[in-house]
Amino acid sequence: MKLSPDQTVMFEAWGLAINATIFFTWVVMAVLTCVAILVTRNLRPDVPPNRWRTTLEVIVQAIQSQIEEIAGRPERHLLYFAGTLFLFVATSNLLLVIPGFEPPTASLSTTTALALSVLIAVPLFGITSRGLGGYLRIYIKPTVLMLPFNIISEFSRGISLAIRLYGNIMSGAVIAAILLSVAPFFFPVVMDVLGLLTGLIQAYIFAVLATVYISSATAPAAETPAPKTPAPDTPPNEKDSP
Amino acid sequence: MSIDWITVVAQIANFLVLVWLLRRFLYRPILDGIDAREAEIAERMQQAVRAKKQAQAQEDAYHDKVQALNVAQAQMTETIRKTAEEQRDFLLAEAQQALDQAHARWQAHMDEETRKYTAKLHHAGASALLALTRKALGDLADATLESQMAQHVVNQIKPMATNLRRAAGEAAEAVATSHTPLPASAQEELATALHDLFPEVSLRCETDKDQAPGLVLRIGGAQLAWTLDTYIDGLEALLAEKLSAGADHKEQSDDG
Repeated sequence: MKLSPDQTVMFEAWGLAINATIFFTWVVMAVLTCVAILVTRNLRPDVPPNRWRTTLEVIVQAIQSQIEEIAGRPERHLLYFAGTLFLFVATSNLLLVIPGFEPPTASLSTTTALALSVLIAVPLFGITSRGLGGYLRIYIKPTVLMLPFNIISEFSRGISLAIRLYGNIMSGAVIAAILLSVAPFFFPVVMDVLGLLTGLIQAYIFAVLATVYISSATAPAAETPAPKTPAPDTPPNEKDSP
Repeated sequence: MSIDWITVVAQIANFLVLVWLLRRFLYRPILDGIDAREAEIAERMQQAVRAKKQAQAQEDAYHDKVQALNVAQAQMTETIRKTAEEQRDFLLAEAQQALDQAHARWQAHMDEETRKYTAKLHHAGASALLALTRKALGDLADATLESQMAQHVVNQIKPMATNLRRAAGEAAEAVATSHTPLPASAQEELATALHDLFPEVSLRCETDKDQAPGLVLRIGGAQLAWTLDTYIDGLEALLAEKLSAGADHKEQSDDG
């Protein structure tokens, strides 16, 4: 029994062994990109939106509103990052229903990579928002004595993110594999349905936690200079970042 | 459970590529499309607001026009009413004037008829009175009216001879005018009487059909008249009084 798709080599290219994690990641990327291109290829104001475009708009706007709710302000760069996290993890987990598909999120390497991405994104967004000095001052708040604890907290966030996502996805796959040997015709279906639900919840939790971490590192809404021409539908920023 | 760090690096790279791809093909087109559509909706809303304002302005202008038309109609109605009143007053005045003129003409006609009737009555009365007097004198006294008048004139002249002479001045002729020719005896009697009073004055007798029956004597600037006019006037007054009393009695009978 394989616990990680890293161990499955799909093919070799340029002298590198392409394992199932990377391969199915590319599949997920291809699916997302193709769908996006197909839906948005004929996107003009004079063309009325079809159901696919409306679906994507609903998804994107839901992600945007969720980020705005957490961060207290519309943040496009955060949308690109956290939205991609959610879509990637959710699509990977949803494609679990396809026979033969191994979700990349079941690999600790993938979840580690995503957690590292969040870990790197937090200071980047923080420095971009507050400046280098402003971001580093977070680590000595409320006193300098808290510096090591803040550093440990920062790293533990990434580790917990990685382990949480990996554990949930992999445990679902492992439990399905165990139950498959016990009751091959009934439990796998139930577990697959449960896996879909768990996958979506994990994608949501992962993206929300990433948004929270990044938002806590960036300047609060009150400190952010107001945009010159705010969008007409932008609600007033009444909430502080968590 | 192990971490393949090459896979981790590859997955980080894959994730960054996916971020770029989705940003390029998903987020930007979708968000830009939403923004464009929202802008278009906002533009349409503004157009609707402008159209509403324009419609409101047109409605206000229409109401103003209707009000102006109502005011103009009221003014026109008032003008027409005034014109009609003026026309009515003018026509009434014209009718009143025509009525007055007709009444004046009728009154003039009535006056003329009255005058003619009075003259006719005067003439008829005078003739009748003269004929009656003459007949009465002839039947009762065997005398003529003219000779009695000449006798009467002579009798009347004598008391006023002094005044008459002063009034006559230096007149050399006296003129006796009568309605009918005086009889020769009367002329002679009158001439004799005048000669006694005014020796230097001669008498000339004339007739005047327009004159009332009687005798008129003129000497220079003095004139003495004895005619039936006074009696005829009395007769006319009597007749008029009787006629007026008869008309009043008739009106009272009609009212009663």
